[in-house]
Amino acid sequence: MGFFVTTLIFTVLGIISVLCTRICCNKGPSTNLFHVTLIATATVCCWMMWAIVYLAQLNPLIVPILNEGE
Amino acid sequence: MGESRRGGCFPPMDLLRSEAMQLVQLVIPIESSHVAVSYIGDLGLIQFKDLNAEKSPFQRTYAAQIKRCGEMARRLQFFREQMFQASVSPAAKSLTQNGIKVDDLEVKLTELETELTEINANNEKLQRTYNELVEYKLVLQKAGEFFYSVQRSAAAQQREISLQNVSGESIDTPLLVEHSMSADSSKPVQLGFFTGLVPREKSMTFERILFRATRGNVFVRQVAVENPVIDPISGEKVEKNVFVVFYFGERAKNKILKICEAFGANRYPFSEDLGKRAQMMTEVTERLAELKTTIDAGLALRESLLCTIADQYEQWSILVKKEKSIYHTLNMLSIDVTKKCLVAEGWSPVFATKQIQDALQRATFDTNSQVGAIFQVLYTRESPPTYFQTNKFTSAFQEIVDAYGVAKYQEVNPTVFTIITFPFLFAVMFGDWGHGLCLLLATLILIFRERKLANQKLGDILEMMFGGRYVILMMALFSIFTGLIYNEFFSVPFELFGRSAYACRDLSCRDASTVGMIKVGDTYPFGVDPVWHGSRSELPFLNSLKMKMSILLGVSQMNLGIILSYFNANFFGESLNIWFQFIPQIIFLNSLFGYLSLLIIVKWCTGSQADLYHVMIYMFLSPTDDLGENQLFPGQKTAQLVLLGLALVSVPWMLLPKPFLLKMQHEHRHQGQSYVPLQGTEETLQAEGNHDPHGHEEFEFSEVFVHQLIHTIEFVLGAVSNTASYLRLWALSLAHSELSSVFFDKVLLLAWGFNNVIILVVGIIVFICATVGVLLVMETLSAFLHALRLHWVEFQNKFYEGNGYKFCPFSFTLLGDEVE
Repeated sequence: MGFFVTTLIFTVLGIISVLCTRICCNKGPSTNLFHVTLIATATVCCWMMWAIVYLAQLNPLIVPILNEGE
Repeated sequence: MGESRRGGCFPPMDLLRSEAMQLVQLVIPIESSHVAVSYIGDLGLIQFKDLNAEKSPFQRTYAAQIKRCGEMARRLQFFREQMFQASVSPAAKSLTQNGIKVDDLEVKLTELETELTEINANNEKLQRTYNELVEYKLVLQKAGEFFYSVQRSAAAQQREISLQNVSGESIDTPLLVEHSMSADSSKPVQLGFFTGLVPREKSMTFERILFRATRGNVFVRQVAVENPVIDPISGEKVEKNVFVVFYFGERAKNKILKICEAFGANRYPFSEDLGKRAQMMTEVTERLAELKTTIDAGLALRESLLCTIADQYEQWSILVKKEKSIYHTLNMLSIDVTKKCLVAEGWSPVFATKQIQDALQRATFDTNSQVGAIFQVLYTRESPPTYFQTNKFTSAFQEIVDAYGVAKYQEVNPTVFTIITFPFLFAVMFGDWGHGLCLLLATLILIFRERKLANQKLGDILEMMFGGRYVILMMALFSIFTGLIYNEFFSVPFELFGRSAYACRDLSCRDASTVGMIKVGDTYPFGVDPVWHGSRSELPFLNSLKMKMSILLGVSQMNLGIILSYFNANFFGESLNIWFQFIPQIIFLNSLFGYLSLLIIVKWCTGSQADLYHVMIYMFLSPTDDLGENQLFPGQKTAQLVLLGLALVSVPWMLLPKPFLLKMQHEHRHQGQSYVPLQGTEETLQAEGNHDPHGHEEFEFSEVFVHQLIHTIEFVLGAVSNTASYLRLWALSLAHSELSSVFFDKVLLLAWGFNNVIILVVGIIVFICATVGVLLVMETLSAFLHALRLHWVEFQNKFYEGNGYKFCPFSFTLLGDEVE
């Protein structure tokens, strides 16, 4: 799974949860916008964290060196 | 207020800005005022202004009624104490609302109070008599024994003497005895005596004083009572001695009486005669039994009375509180000159207009008032209170923000983002999905028992946890996510998302512990590769990763903060703030730290060996030098020069134009003012009548300039220090993972290694205690505090003024929460 596929998965999950809140608790436009903001922020945060860790391991400068005992 | 002229280009969002507020004036006819205010209290959407601020509480219109309510509250308090003493607990809020009137309640409370005090007094009297009788009985018993033994010895002596008299004078007969005996018989001595009880701790001094006062002409005898007795006067349990004092003469008697009084020694009559004593004894015993039943009956009466009070106590207490708060509110209204109506002013949300009008109409209808109440909106330049409609989920987050400062009226509320970013930053420092699951379980218990816990009193700490249960829920959920990213479950990694990307260089795997392994497959798809755990290069790798992650997250959050300042400026129509604050700020931050973030990402993507410290440092020291091997992308030198130039330009851009433009604006406005006709009379009257009009404020150029200077310096230095401050994410996350791996390796695995059940059990217990105590409690607290700081300081100082005040409506639902 590449970078873009997982990014797409994050996006899709975000959109699905937006749709879920829209269907489950539709309480007027301003509340809906609030929910969308919350989900968007959460999705961006999680995606960013994942992306950072993924990119950091893409081209390793340091490789794992096992301990002597193992 | 004219909210309509302000406005953003965005549709309204819940919680982003304070509800639109208006200053309203209510003119209520005096006959319906009480009902109207009580309906408004039920509604809870108006914050009344005190229109009689200059009057002392006693000068106000309804001072007498408040006093009455205070008296009723005092009575209720008295009942409460009595119930507490009798350990009768007030019944939970009874749902039966029998509409008792306040006047009836007052009468009822007075009656109940008199009844209760009477019963109490009677019971006290009876109890006292009972205690006295108990003491008397003791005296009769103890002193009786004493007299009996004395009499026996006296009789023996008598017998001996008579025997001696019969035998005649012998050589060994003491001469004195006969003399004294003869003296005794010739002149009978009037010996008096007292009997009673004295507290044991005073008994020694009592005896000594008696001895001294009568110069030794006294005979005291004391017998300790085994069990402590209840003192009739103080009603406390005291250890006592029964005493008998023999004296001689009237003067000694008076002295002894006084001494007894001073020592709190209770005296009781006593008869030498055995028959009389026996009669008294039976009498006392009978009376004791009688009194016992009377006292029991009295207590039962009191208890039944208290129970009837307890049944309705809560209801009465709420009624009295409501009544008191109504009169308190009425006291804040000003009375019309005709004394026929009350005028109220207060803040209310715009959306509540209809509800308030309805409530007023109902009040008019219910009281059959001739005239209806008038509701009108006033215009003022005073800043309205800030009001966010929160629910049980958002309120805890709003409180976190409010603890720093209540938002200025209608400025952007950070809570909208804090709800997500706060638990997220917490989780970055608390990344372990095992610990996250523990937190989740704990908070789910609180959430599922929400209904039950909300109604009962909890301890301080539990109360705090209960209040923040949804914050903890979010923190736990994000911890589970970051724990999966860090690949740590109580510091143990799992290969949940596929195989590790690394393998040995050859089959023998000799190099694995010297040169290292080699990446053979695709990058581990989700989170940190499990192979890193326990390897020698784990720390260098994680340090580099977490440090860079902190900077990237920090720069993103600070950018979000600056963008929010644009929303504020846009909403309030302050174009100066957009052009001379928002734009240079965002350029400055991104040309330095945004560029750093870019370099980090480029380095990761290309796998370049460039030294980023070197690049950043020499970007300032010698920007024109060639980058050499540190070059990450072509044209980097030119890009750096442009960015450096932009950063340098943006500093004076932030500093200089705004104060000058403000000055120009002010002069322009001032010049124009003399030609502008007077504004609408109503508004000017209001403005002049109530508040200091803002139009004539002095413009101090130096002050504005210094303010801008401080702001600029703060931002420029803050950009550096705030970015550095985000490194705490790295430090705390490192500390957390190291601590949990130490507990796991050095406690659990070590204990496992001994192959002994007892050691293993001890090891597991120690591991659980350490995990709960250190990681789940202390680490949670410290990560919470650091996340709090990052939000209050690093995030909110980019846009949040927080100098507003909170909307505190007059509401009955808030009354119950008040501390009693």
